[in-house]
Amino acid sequence: MTTQRFRTVLLPIVSARTANVDAWFEAAQPSDIDAFCATYTSAARKIGRGALSLTEIEHGRLQVLVRDVVFDRWTVADAARALLLLTAAESIDADAFQALATACLDRGDAREQESWMRSVPLLPAAERFLPLVIDACRTNVVPLFEAIACDNPYPAEHFPDRNFNQLVLKALFNNIPIARIVGLRRRMNAELSRMASDYAAERRAAGRPVPADIGLAS
Amino acid sequence: MKIFDPHVHMTSRTTDDYEAMAAAGILAIVEPAFWLGQPRTQVGSFIDYFNSLVGWERFRASQFGIRHFCTIGLNPKESNNPKLTEDVLQLMPRYLDKESVVAIGEVGFDDQTDAEEASLLRQLEMAREFELPVLIHTPHRDKKRGTIRSIEAVRKAQFPEERVLIDHNNEETLPVVLESRCWAGHTIYPHTKMDEQRMAVLVNKYGSDRIIVNSAADWGISDPLKVPKTIDAMRAAGIADAVIQKIVWDNPVAFFSQSGKLDVADLDVRPAIDRTQQFETNSVLRGERR
Repeated sequence: MTTQRFRTVLLPIVSARTANVDAWFEAAQPSDIDAFCATYTSAARKIGRGALSLTEIEHGRLQVLVRDVVFDRWTVADAARALLLLTAAESIDADAFQALATACLDRGDAREQESWMRSVPLLPAAERFLPLVIDACRTNVVPLFEAIACDNPYPAEHFPDRNFNQLVLKALFNNIPIARIVGLRRRMNAELSRMASDYAAERRAAGRPVPADIGLAS
Repeated sequence: MKIFDPHVHMTSRTTDDYEAMAAAGILAIVEPAFWLGQPRTQVGSFIDYFNSLVGWERFRASQFGIRHFCTIGLNPKESNNPKLTEDVLQLMPRYLDKESVVAIGEVGFDDQTDAEEASLLRQLEMAREFELPVLIHTPHRDKKRGTIRSIEAVRKAQFPEERVLIDHNNEETLPVVLESRCWAGHTIYPHTKMDEQRMAVLVNKYGSDRIIVNSAADWGISDPLKVPKTIDAMRAAGIADAVIQKIVWDNPVAFFSQSGKLDVADLDVRPAIDRTQQFETNSVLRGERR
């Protein structure tokens, strides 16, 4: 139900930014993993790699469906790829969809994986992808890590404390403003405070600056 | 001054680095197996990587007069992939008796998960079986806790502490390691971990017993000359050459000698360079041969 509503809102958003959506969609047969993944990849070339830049009205329509996703850094390809996955989710059964979405992630380059992580909170039964999202947090590719950690409600919604705390520490370690972590205040816990204050002590002992926003985690 | 860099990922470095390292007095290095920045998805990638550590990379180092040893292990990050972990742990014994494999490593904690701990404990068992020392990496995040957990794991496995080198220490973790009988490694990096001047301060405070320094140069921002540069900083801080020599040579040699695979008598003689040699028909020369 929600999947269909997302699709209904996203389709005109993507269509308004390119003339090619219909032809592009034709090629994506969810029954054919290779063809589907190739279409997923081609979004940047065929649909566009520019900023999505939602209008106020478009933004309002999405906010009704999902309050905590921040679309500011989304590209047109991000939206097109999200749309592709949402459409597939409606036409095949849950197991087949899980295999298909996992293939898009596994075969993706860093940008495709960013798109995937941005869209995962919109997917039906998104909790089934938890191990994939936790694993992706181990990346050294900072923009990919940001696609999970920032502007994205998924970690606060689904991560166990231990993984959520690691995510916050990794953001601090990489100088990513932790104000961008959705739901941080709601997920605060004693262990996270302890980890943040240990990190501050370690930085001070090394004579290095402590991140200015570390107070948000302690 | 004889220099041993006990932790440097030469696979990620250039021949310019090898030349500069040899010119700076580095005679021997240990290249620990680690993660390549991009997660590997199948055991075949590890077979090729381990083969290159005991093969091509060792040969490449020899072409610059540097003795190359390595450690074999499954790193903490990739220990979170259950299928891969099983496959790699089963693969490892194939390499552990090779003559240049002087320890198991880098192993230890990253996210500090149960899977990482299980992988560490199994590799400690392997080290016991193959009578090898162990190189333990300590995490970037929640480092002090990760260091304490690493020592606890060593004790849980009843593995001899004097055969364990705990790496990447800082001001907060060094006292913890020195309270155990493990050795304490320090990675001198341009921006993170430890720097040369702070290292000199630590040596003035804690002395040189069981203290080791390394460059851990890899594909990130790092510098394969950090051990020689730390020697300069220690001298500038008034530390005696005998103490420095112990830190940059005697200690790593003593630690890795526990593998029984370091030929200590020969180690400080610069190996002759013969660039007419080839490794499986490949040379480091590029059309310069006559």
